[in-house]
Amino acid sequence: MSTAPARLFERPWMRWTIAVVIVALAVVLPLVFPAFTNQTLARIGVFAVAVLGLNVVMGYAGQVSLGQIFFVGLGAYVTAYGVTQNWNIALVFVLSVLIPGVVGLVVALAAARLGGLAIAMVTIALPIVGVPLAKRLSEFTGGSQGLSAIFAKAPTWSGLYDDQWQLYLVLLIGGITFLLTRNLVHGKYGRAFAIVKGNQAVAGSMGVSPYRFKVLAFTVASLIGGVSGFLYMVVVQYTSPETMSFGSSITLLASMVIGGAASILGSVLGGAYYVLVPQLTNAINPNLTAVLQGVILLAVLFILPGGLVSLPRTIRRLWTRTRRGGNPSPPTQAASRQADLAEGSPTERQGQA
Amino acid sequence: MGTFIQLVVDGLSTGSVYAALALAIVLVNQATGLVNFAQGGMAVLSAYIALELVQLHVPLAIAIIVSMAASFLLGAIIERYLMRRFERGDPDTAVVVTIGLLTLVTGVCAWIWSYNNQQFPSLFPSSTVSILGAVVSVSSLGTILVIVVIMVLLQALFLGTKLGLALRAVAINPQSAAFSGMPVGRLLMVGWGLAAALGAVAGALVAPQLSLTPNMMDSPLVYALAAVILGGMTSPLGVVVAAWLIGVLENLAAVYLPFIGYDLKVAVPFILIFVVLLVRPQGLFGRKAVVRV
Amino acid sequence: MNMRRRVKGVLGVVAVTSAIALTLAGCSRGGDDASGSSAPSPGITDTTVTLGITTPLSGATAGPGTCTVAGITAYFGAKNAAGGVKFGDGKTRKVEIKSLDDGYDPQKAAANYQQLKDSVFAMTAGLGTPTNRAWREAAISDKVPQVLVMTGDPIFSDQKQSPWQLGFVPIYQNEGEAFGKLLASSSAPHKVAILSQNDDYGKGYVEGFMAGIKGASNITVVKELTYEATDTSVDAQLTELASTGADVFFNAMSITPLVISSLNKAQSLGWKPSWFLPSNTSSPGAILQKANDVSVYPGIYSVAFSKAAASPAFANDEDMKTFLSDLKKYANYPDTPEFPHCAWSYMVGATLDQAFQKMTSPTRDDFMKALRSISDYQAPLMLPDTAVDTTKDGSPAVSTVLVQKYNGKGYATVTTWQ
Repeated sequence: MSTAPARLFERPWMRWTIAVVIVALAVVLPLVFPAFTNQTLARIGVFAVAVLGLNVVMGYAGQVSLGQIFFVGLGAYVTAYGVTQNWNIALVFVLSVLIPGVVGLVVALAAARLGGLAIAMVTIALPIVGVPLAKRLSEFTGGSQGLSAIFAKAPTWSGLYDDQWQLYLVLLIGGITFLLTRNLVHGKYGRAFAIVKGNQAVAGSMGVSPYRFKVLAFTVASLIGGVSGFLYMVVVQYTSPETMSFGSSITLLASMVIGGAASILGSVLGGAYYVLVPQLTNAINPNLTAVLQGVILLAVLFILPGGLVSLPRTIRRLWTRTRRGGNPSPPTQAASRQADLAEGSPTERQGQA
Repeated sequence: MGTFIQLVVDGLSTGSVYAALALAIVLVNQATGLVNFAQGGMAVLSAYIALELVQLHVPLAIAIIVSMAASFLLGAIIERYLMRRFERGDPDTAVVVTIGLLTLVTGVCAWIWSYNNQQFPSLFPSSTVSILGAVVSVSSLGTILVIVVIMVLLQALFLGTKLGLALRAVAINPQSAAFSGMPVGRLLMVGWGLAAALGAVAGALVAPQLSLTPNMMDSPLVYALAAVILGGMTSPLGVVVAAWLIGVLENLAAVYLPFIGYDLKVAVPFILIFVVLLVRPQGLFGRKAVVRV
Repeated sequence: MNMRRRVKGVLGVVAVTSAIALTLAGCSRGGDDASGSSAPSPGITDTTVTLGITTPLSGATAGPGTCTVAGITAYFGAKNAAGGVKFGDGKTRKVEIKSLDDGYDPQKAAANYQQLKDSVFAMTAGLGTPTNRAWREAAISDKVPQVLVMTGDPIFSDQKQSPWQLGFVPIYQNEGEAFGKLLASSSAPHKVAILSQNDDYGKGYVEGFMAGIKGASNITVVKELTYEATDTSVDAQLTELASTGADVFFNAMSITPLVISSLNKAQSLGWKPSWFLPSNTSSPGAILQKANDVSVYPGIYSVAFSKAAASPAFANDEDMKTFLSDLKKYANYPDTPEFPHCAWSYMVGATLDQAFQKMTSPTRDDFMKALRSISDYQAPLMLPDTAVDTTKDGSPAVSTVLVQKYNGKGYATVTTWQ
């Protein structure tokens, strides 16, 4: 029954020390890690931010969005275009965040009036129509050959290697984005999102306008998507219509759920999943990547339906169950096993198979 | 005018491809409340099984029936041992599980049968007939006919039979269904099994035209989902009409609206959905969902 | 008491962290200096040389993608079994191939490159324009060869823009132009309908074709339409094109099932033009014989530089038999390939073999020099009158293509319009 470990992590001084440790590691480790590790970490950062955006609209506010990758791609294209036109990099960054945000706002204003599945459909339209659109607007996008934009070379005064500089950029911009989002979802907006997610009719009756908050969630998600797109260009330095493919869209969705929906840490884990699993499956057998990726996804969700972020929770529950001692009466064990299987659902299904 | 009719006829034929998959998706949705992203992948696996039988000199029709039976079993097993765990939890997690299933099934098909294009024999002869001045292939007509038959059967199943009613009850309110003494687990398995068998038919209808590869149903899947939402998640008639509408309007928009053209014609189904859903949120033929607050 | 414990806790954590940080900062990363041109490059030792490939091995393009690995693996598998490749510096080395799947995602391709670049001698044979473009700049700045890649994008063969790259297959413009020139050699008036894939592949073909017919006043293009690689059907486009009554159909299509359905649909609409098909979708066995009777068309033309594996004309060809048995034995590819990329990748292996034989020192610089000095080399499986020539700036390794006409069984080279 003791939850002393839980309470320890909630103490403010403990959280401050953890923050300091993380920042210290973030500064020191890139100087030590080999280039490929830094590049991998930077990619994880890019997609962690993308998943974070998806979490805001889908995890926290409960609106199915399959269009997050479109905003990432749009942010990447804006960045690429701005760089090839030699605009000021700060201006490019601002535009790469704002333009997807404006597009997201417009889409949300129209779509938020529709029901859940309809929003899903409208958001599916974004990457599906986005790809041929990117090919058609080839003066801006480079068409199907894509756009290369080299701009994240480490400045000579820093004495850093390119991969280190890029990782620092990702950590800095990504970190700020994460902090801002965390404040958003842990404050009153987060509570409003949760109410809208839970039951829209109830939300309306409480004076929380579902429409307003859906639009807000979607716009925030698209802004964050734009940031992710900028970071994508920092790290990959090339974009093409394939960046916003439908396949990437559903992989992003899968990453969100596997990392842990409605969780800040889960977004980071989701980004790690997005980047590391293809590399892992390549290392096992490059000819069987599809089979292995399917197996990994199913295995993770089977063991941890709440996502990777629920691992401590699951371990703690198993720990307290064994500590409570083996209560030998079979009905109790069967009941708790069923409770595990029905992960958080309020009632149990009558009977077995 | 000849071109117009030809485009309409071709659109119906393409739309039937989407409709075949959409019907299977509706069935799973009606029976278990889930949207199964892996429906297309499972249909492809069924088609490969049928192809293996054909290569062992089994007649095509028998091969398809056997693959339907095998798919029924496979669907039931997948429901019992994989999806069961996720049906009562977060719906987003369940959808992602079906996505994982799609990746796995596609990968398994590629592993066993490689990525090469396999030729799948057609149930219908490859001749053409002339209707109203337009040239229609017999296999397109045959596909449309089979789709209509399946649609009628499904509609009858859901609205007219006890099984259909039981399947829907289990999907809508499993607790009450269980309290009423229905074998909930078994019904869920039947639902998935039927959908998989239906997918086998869809695969066999579509493979001759699209050429059988592991990723064959990836593009039609999006259109099938669009048709499901446009037509209403609850209505087989609705999704078939929606799928045909999508196929026809796409072709017409590509030819008669030059600013859309052939590359952006994919936007047509979505614009259509958006407009229809603004007016009728439950889809063209769907029933309004009422949720107790 | 609590306060003291808390302070102790904080100090403890900070102390441990600082200690770790200082230790790590002390052992900062060893410089990853670019190797000087005299020291051996990574990926090559006295007994082995390693090649890296990033290509789609899953997803819609996995069919050709798997072939791009299989061909070169088969070639060097046979060579290794015979003892290895004799390099120009006197050493005999076995060739290892590391391949990674990128699923046609440029971001994954760039990641694969970063993973491989320090452990391979050169990158080669990858499929796709966006996937190769994604890491082209990085390869240039890291001075890693990205050679004999499977894309007809002209940028890879421009030495000024891409000093460390070289394309293998003819640029798309090349192929289109060859057919355009053939058509221009005809004296009769012609109306041409065009259907092309909506990407650099299709656009390149059309650009080349237009250049080939430039100035020919008897040829008019009556309609130009596109399709997407993900389309399930091109019936609507064919309906539109058929209504123009054109007598020549330029079909820059790379999707096998769509080519088959086009051949069938045009017939059923009563439209019987002369056809042009690109080199990768004109195989008799994989495509023409799977469609309904194609003899109704006055002529089916294609461009080619390699012998088609599924063509009965080459069933008894010695090179072809060796190629197929190598594929089965060393590359785990038992079926007759229906994608030409298997044969092309085999030729890439042979071309690299030539470059290895010319190299005098085990460095990437020397390798690039050797690679760019191959001329008039007839790789196995190449058609007579075509050869590998890497000495021309702006041209990929293969730039001669032959226009061929289908004769019911296989292709025969033609030089004028018939």
